[in-house]
Amino acid sequence: MTNSIAEFEDSGCIFIIGSNTSACHPLIARRVFRAKEKGAKLIVADPRNIQMARFADVAVQQRLGSDVALLNGMMHIILKNGWHDKTYIENRTEGFEDFEAVVESYTPDKVETITGVAQSDLEKMAELYAVNSPAALLYAMGITQHTTGVDNVKSCCNLAMLCGNVGVRSGGVNPLRGQNNVQGACDMGGLPNVYPAYQPVTAEANNEKFSKAWGKPLSDKIGYTITDMIQAINDGKLKALYIVGENPKLSDPNQNHIDDALGKLDLLICQDIFLSETAEKADLVFAAVSVAEKEGTFTNTERRCMKVNKAIDPLGNTLNDWDIISRLSTEMGYEMHYENPEEIFNEMAALTPSYGGMTYERLGLDGLQWPCPNAEHPGTPFLHKDQFTRGKGLFHAIEYLDPAEMPDEEYPYWLTTGRMFAHYHTGTMTRASKHLDTEQKTGYVEINPKDAKALGVNDGDIVHLATRRGETKVPAKVSKMVEPGVFFVPFHFAESPANILTNSAFDPIAKIPEFKVCAVKIEKAA
Amino acid sequence: MDFKIIPSTCSYCGTGCGVLFQVMDGRLVDTLPMKTHPVNQGRLCIKGWNLHEHVISEKRLKSPLIKKDGELQETTWDEAIKTAADGLKAVIKDHGPDSVAVLASAKITNEENYLVQKFARAVVGTNNVDHCARL
Amino acid sequence: MQEQIKQWLEQGDIDIFLGYKMIQGHPLPYCFTKENPDDLKDLIVGNARYSLEKMATKIAAEHKELKIGLLTRDCNQRALNVLYIWNQLNPENIKTIGVNCCPSNLKEHGDCSYLEPELIPPIKKMIGIDNNMQVKAAEQFNQKERFNRWMYEFQKCIKCYGCRDICPVCFCKECSLEHTDLIATGGIPPEVPIFHLVRAVHMGGRCIDCGLCEDACPVDIPLRLLYRKVNEIVTDIFDYTTGTRADQSPFNMLGEEVTLKPKPI
Repeated sequence: MTNSIAEFEDSGCIFIIGSNTSACHPLIARRVFRAKEKGAKLIVADPRNIQMARFADVAVQQRLGSDVALLNGMMHIILKNGWHDKTYIENRTEGFEDFEAVVESYTPDKVETITGVAQSDLEKMAELYAVNSPAALLYAMGITQHTTGVDNVKSCCNLAMLCGNVGVRSGGVNPLRGQNNVQGACDMGGLPNVYPAYQPVTAEANNEKFSKAWGKPLSDKIGYTITDMIQAINDGKLKALYIVGENPKLSDPNQNHIDDALGKLDLLICQDIFLSETAEKADLVFAAVSVAEKEGTFTNTERRCMKVNKAIDPLGNTLNDWDIISRLSTEMGYEMHYENPEEIFNEMAALTPSYGGMTYERLGLDGLQWPCPNAEHPGTPFLHKDQFTRGKGLFHAIEYLDPAEMPDEEYPYWLTTGRMFAHYHTGTMTRASKHLDTEQKTGYVEINPKDAKALGVNDGDIVHLATRRGETKVPAKVSKMVEPGVFFVPFHFAESPANILTNSAFDPIAKIPEFKVCAVKIEKAA
Repeated sequence: MDFKIIPSTCSYCGTGCGVLFQVMDGRLVDTLPMKTHPVNQGRLCIKGWNLHEHVISEKRLKSPLIKKDGELQETTWDEAIKTAADGLKAVIKDHGPDSVAVLASAKITNEENYLVQKFARAVVGTNNVDHCARL
Repeated sequence: MQEQIKQWLEQGDIDIFLGYKMIQGHPLPYCFTKENPDDLKDLIVGNARYSLEKMATKIAAEHKELKIGLLTRDCNQRALNVLYIWNQLNPENIKTIGVNCCPSNLKEHGDCSYLEPELIPPIKKMIGIDNNMQVKAAEQFNQKERFNRWMYEFQKCIKCYGCRDICPVCFCKECSLEHTDLIATGGIPPEVPIFHLVRAVHMGGRCIDCGLCEDACPVDIPLRLLYRKVNEIVTDIFDYTTGTRADQSPFNMLGEEVTLKPKPI
């Protein structure tokens, strides 16, 4: 996030797009409710009729995968009315002319045709966002998990820059991170192209810096993303996979495909706290410790690095993840010995400029928000205050593109996936939790009452869902959360896996799969 | 009798709420929201309130496992680590370091993620390291 | 205060003392023991309230004979009274040190800086319910408006169960809120208004107006007002004010012969 969670309380307008905030980030939704009650305007754009929509000044249900058109449409209206921040655009951005030329063609009637959003609603969204500054834009996987994920994000940035909302308190472009330390995993260089703090592996200076620190020559060749890895296994290029704390069999698209791939490996090592669906296929399983048994830090969605403290001793014969990795490294001939996580943190902070000023002592219980480059630096609540990281903010001219798969005669309905409020990711942890399991014990598919009637399906009936990738049976939940013709499946449930259905088509740049849109057929199970 | 309150950070979702773990006689018994935490100000969601439940679940893995005759069986850490190291070394020897990939995790700590990518880059010698940020 | 507690610990009047300690700038609940009497110099009253009596209840459930000392504000003391009545704590095993407390309907005065009246935002005032509102003022709304305002508040609910989980007098082994025949599971907001009304009914004769539920509510639902209303009815009918005494509640007299003087509703 460019900005901080607490700042949303003072926003003039909050625009939520592609985030079921009250279900997936409830304590961020709290700030939205409070802002709204203080008088902020609220815009909600989500293909489903989510809880936040009830409180919005304008709520729209755009057609799945039509976000670029929707955002371009808003910007078209803003420009037509002269609501854009001309000084900001002049002083702080570039690329405006090309962008303006593209947006010019996104007339309200064209946008209505693509998105299904009424022109009057679009006008209202544009006006509310543009005239109530500072306006904060919040999004989640509803924006990113598309073949046009990068285009969607860039369009969000275009909108925010157009109205001068980046680099101001209570504004910004704010992706709500779905997993507790997805921010940290990226910051730490858990990516194939960068070292910690996004230092490219291809740059000689970085390579030298880390080679020196780690006492070993390093590769400057960009590695595989998850999506590439599956392909590389199938091509026979990847032979061994070591998975730490992930469950790709349930979290990656096209389960049948990944299941085949995992089976082809010479060696699969999994490190987890539960025997996940992926770990069941492993040759070796390292039993690690949970959040309550370890010390360390997580970095949340507002870049706040916070302490995790050990409450209890490791259960059974389990080991800390850092200990397992150290032992494995040493066994492989690279001596790795640490006394405790703090020693690792200090080594990391010395190599990671944005964390450079952090120590466990300074973090305390409040944490620090990066960038925090030196010991005196108080941390950074919001980014890009006086200038963007690259200097000037760059407008991108972006045309709308259809999702990779649209309904047709054979697969006539839209399918989308996501989370529900009581479960987390692949359900490995939440389904082992009594109170959370009570709330939702099985998978389900949301069906609009009209479709249910047409299909002869009652609430709780088992229906058969099929896409070009695979098929599954799941109980129906008749609900007005979805529009007629649209179905929603949560992805927490291994016995009715969403990812057996979802499309593995991915964004060409971010390699993010299109989990949010595909075509499906449905019938009542015999 | 031993009763402790340990402040920590919730591990469900990227909001990062401050929690208090209640520990009685060395057992994790409950989770509370931290009242004065800058993120959640003494509130939690349903997942946060039940954070301790997955930790103490019966289903937790309690020992390293090794596949023998097609079945995963309990083993010692020494055997598990040695088998893994030998297996990885053999793959690297036969097919080169880029035939190995490591998945870091959006659920483990920064320290652990740092080590995972250090392991891939310095120990194995590959940049084949990613995690499920996209998923 | 520290001296008194130290003495109690040394003499064996209590085995542990639940109070607060400042940890890295945050007042957190802390269990003081006789093994570490020096810790007591760090004891503070703290301006953040936690339900120390709920912790005591958990501890006492596993250590029945343990003698527990507690720092008590007025609300903690009222909660203790309820816990004694319902046999969740044995008063013989509890010793308290009282400190000044927050304002509530049951006790007007108070100096707890943490609970200054909230500044209520304008929209909430317009369509929701002011969290400082007293029952009488809320009853000035006509029926329809009252209904609409409560519906607005309930619809914000994200079903965290925080109101129940933090409640010092919620101790049932099975909770009606999770009874699938009463309240549907799997969605938010939870069934409006059933979820909140079921809880409100269960607060009759229980709620001691400590306000922890409202403090824990992520979406600022004025729960305190709702439960106050319920308990006003209890007081009217049974002439019983929850938490003020440690003798029997009219709600746990089943099977015993009692004489009630019901007042007309």
